[in-house]
Amino acid sequence: MSLAEAPAQSTAAAYWRLQRSELRLVLGRRRNLVLLLGLAAVPLLLGLVLFFTQDTALDGQGPAFLGRVTGNGLFLVVASVFLCLPFLLPLTIGIASGDAIAGEASAGTLRYLLTVPVGRTRLLLVKAVGALAFAAAAVASIAVVGLIAGAALFGVHDVTLLSGDTVSLGAGALRVLAVVVYVGLSLTGLVAVGLFFSTLTEVPVGAMAATVVVAIVSGVLDTIPALSAIHPALLTHHWLDFAEFLRIEPDWGVIGGGLAVQAAWVAIFGALAWSRFTTADVTS
Amino acid sequence: MTAPATVVPAVTSPVTAGTAVRTQGLTKRFRSGQVAVDGIDLLVPRGAVYGFLGPNGSGKTTTIRMILGLVRPTSGQAWLLDSPNPADVLPRVGALVEGPGFHPYLTGRANLARLDAADQTSDARTADRRASEALERVGLLAAEGKPYRQYSLGMKQRLGLAAALLRRRDLLVLDEPTNGLDPQGTREVRLLIRELAQAGTTVLVSSHLLGEIEQVCTHIGIMSRGRLLLQGPRDVIDSRGVARVAVTVAPGHVATAAGVLRVLGLDVSIEELTLGAELGTLAPARIPEALVHAGVDVTGFEVRRPSLEQVFVELTGEGFDVAR
Amino acid sequence: MSNLSPRARWAVPAVVGVVVAAAFVAPPLVASASSDDLPTLTPQQLVTAVADAKDQPLSGTVVYTARLGLPSLPLGDMAGASPVNLLDGSSTMRVWTDGVDRSRASLLGATSEYSVVRDGSQAWTYSSTDDAVVHYALPAKDQARYDALAQDPTVEGDLPTPAAAATSVLGLVEQFSTVSLDAQSTVAGRDAYNLVVTPKSTTTLVGHVVISVDAKTSTPLRVQVWDRDSTAPALEVGFTDVRFATPSASVLSFSAPAGASTKDVTVPLPAATDRPAAGIPEGTTVTGTGWDTVVQASGVDVAGLLAGDTDALASVPGSQPAIGSKSGQKLLDEFGADGSGKVRDLDLGTLFDTITTKVPEGRLIETRLASVLVTDDGRVLVGAVPGATLQADAR
Repeated sequence: MSLAEAPAQSTAAAYWRLQRSELRLVLGRRRNLVLLLGLAAVPLLLGLVLFFTQDTALDGQGPAFLGRVTGNGLFLVVASVFLCLPFLLPLTIGIASGDAIAGEASAGTLRYLLTVPVGRTRLLLVKAVGALAFAAAAVASIAVVGLIAGAALFGVHDVTLLSGDTVSLGAGALRVLAVVVYVGLSLTGLVAVGLFFSTLTEVPVGAMAATVVVAIVSGVLDTIPALSAIHPALLTHHWLDFAEFLRIEPDWGVIGGGLAVQAAWVAIFGALAWSRFTTADVTS
Repeated sequence: MTAPATVVPAVTSPVTAGTAVRTQGLTKRFRSGQVAVDGIDLLVPRGAVYGFLGPNGSGKTTTIRMILGLVRPTSGQAWLLDSPNPADVLPRVGALVEGPGFHPYLTGRANLARLDAADQTSDARTADRRASEALERVGLLAAEGKPYRQYSLGMKQRLGLAAALLRRRDLLVLDEPTNGLDPQGTREVRLLIRELAQAGTTVLVSSHLLGEIEQVCTHIGIMSRGRLLLQGPRDVIDSRGVARVAVTVAPGHVATAAGVLRVLGLDVSIEELTLGAELGTLAPARIPEALVHAGVDVTGFEVRRPSLEQVFVELTGEGFDVAR
Repeated sequence: MSNLSPRARWAVPAVVGVVVAAAFVAPPLVASASSDDLPTLTPQQLVTAVADAKDQPLSGTVVYTARLGLPSLPLGDMAGASPVNLLDGSSTMRVWTDGVDRSRASLLGATSEYSVVRDGSQAWTYSSTDDAVVHYALPAKDQARYDALAQDPTVEGDLPTPAAAATSVLGLVEQFSTVSLDAQSTVAGRDAYNLVVTPKSTTTLVGHVVISVDAKTSTPLRVQVWDRDSTAPALEVGFTDVRFATPSASVLSFSAPAGASTKDVTVPLPAATDRPAAGIPEGTTVTGTGWDTVVQASGVDVAGLLAGDTDALASVPGSQPAIGSKSGQKLLDEFGADGSGKVRDLDLGTLFDTITTKVPEGRLIETRLASVLVTDDGRVLVGAVPGATLQADAR
């Protein structure tokens, strides 16, 4: 009386069916949408503030790139990403990746997914892709709103690089796109860290907080000169290297180095998450 | 809790070769050092409705988690549908483990769709239809569009059952399926189990409330403190206990009745107008016959079989449901 | 899922960790492995080769590191004691040159840049932080003479490069130093000779200087200045990567970006005869020779400097553009504040009191390589000598 049905779909099709379900879950969840809207509000507010304070005493003050926004709306993208990088983006990543496994565990859905059955390696992969997709959506929402708001408020023009040289609008837009892509890829290491924490606990908030703390501690360690030997290996050390794309000749060694460090964090914490998740007793 | 003397006829179903669940020396020692499951040899024949009974904390859920591959045994082994690797056969197993677990912000139907999407062997084209059937079966079709968090405890439990019924299963593992259900809901679950069993599905159902499910079981296993105290077919378990007879007679007939019973070889105890005795091997029908023959005015006659709970108390010397 | 035991599964991240560590640690080790298969040279041959070498077209990254051993500073990171950071810390530059008269050097901030571009007789500096251009050009009357002479650049020496550092050291070689060769090594991925220059003087703070010279082009790749007793160079400037090829034309030219503030500076071409010897500007006096040289400047507005008034820098005789000009100051600001652009809430007076010690003549800063004495009567004495020597000179 075996009732086993013949596999109705290929392994790849089956994977994508679950992956689509996961993406719908992550990107359709109201809390996550609110997060994306919050991030999207940053360039909007920043653009409006700069728009109304230009030609006043406050004009040109503030962190890097801010002074360039009023001259070229494209820089609203860069300035917004730069402002979100130290805290808002890590917070968003922490919430998305820390929730990945721990959220299912705390809702009690993990045991049901595993008895469907979903292989643990497959589930971890699906969850990782989901968290990465959310990270990409977070960066993209800043960039897209930044571009629209920047273009509407200040117009877009040829881009003045950090070196003072000017490149055409097309080339400049490509460089700004590269900045956004680099920032997105820079967050992959933190996603892996969050995913690992997420496999350690049934309390999603704990994993989220731990992930954000890692990003903040990494940032703090990066400012301590006595630790300069370990700085290049820090998760956040190369985040600002996106500026390389705004120099006259981007140094691909620097860019590749930054991405290699992220890849290393992904490899190590991905492997840790895999070991933990595939050996853990699911008692939630 | 006293079970009536008459036994509800157990569901009869064709028992095929092979076992639905078998464990050998299955043991789980948690990192805290606590031994949750202590070397149990479970045997659930195919086609059975196996009542997996025991007080809260006796190790039933941990055993079920090991059987389903959620928890790694410290030692021993488990076979699910004769496979040592649960992942291979889990598509043929529906499970409800330690209460329902769903995403609170998704609707009942969306939750089912997600579980179905996770199933590599399920057919996406029939997903909607199967979800509808499962929802209808547990009486939840009307509430399918509501977010799970708005469900009552009973509705949540039903959705858990619906998830287990998303496709045809060879085995259903139902851990405390009546938790949170009102008497009506409990009765429905019993009916559902009986119906599924009649269709050929093996059911392993655990409970800490004996009376709720013992009526539908063909087999019983009783756990206490991590050990399997007793397991076997229902009638074998029943015959383990000693039946008692209670005879009530009209005033003035007590002494005569006692005499008759003693002649039959019973050890009589008297309480006002009622005479009680262990039945032993005596056929119950011979008692009223002998009494009437002796002219005793019998006003009541009852043979009491011990309830499972009484069996349990006899085995462990303690009450069944600690939490009750 | 395969049936690996938990122990085997936990071995996976351990293996990954080892592989990753190996991937990051091994290449630099391989790259810096010394090679002793270069032709043998005498130290003097090497000195001559460096002096005779043609300037090469190249592009690369230069890292400048100072470990001067200043007292630890009571600063939060955000306070941005920028000039101090440059004195004690690490900076990265990108350089491009065609080996003739066109070049670009960019000092890199995390999200900012200070560029010096020289294109023949013209030069520009550009600070990304305040979007400001300074354009240096010759007066019209000097242009023809420049074209004939292909004279030295107007703003040369703005940013330290290995070549500039090597030139100033080699100027002291013949009279005041002994030279020797150390084992060959690899610098910026290229085989290099290591020339060790040791001062004959025993009173200077400088212990020895190591100049790493590219074997193929005789271009200095790295200069390390060591004090008398330490395990790490007190000052180091060198390429971390270098390519000997003519950079693209776009890098070697500059035009002010739209919207930037632009300042034009006309710099008369000095006659070949009135260039001061050894670059000593007017208003200063020099005592001592060679490594023991002490430069004494008078009439410095110390109070103004401490108040953060950058214009007071103009009172420092012979101040270099990189330090003295407004654009240079902006650069320093940015480095300290890491791109935020302004030196904020920094009480320079307090800082000055912290890093200096009171002596009868005024206030003294002693570092591993040099000492600075600011006297109460407005003189500043600088030299690669112990503080006591400066105090004696100041009396």
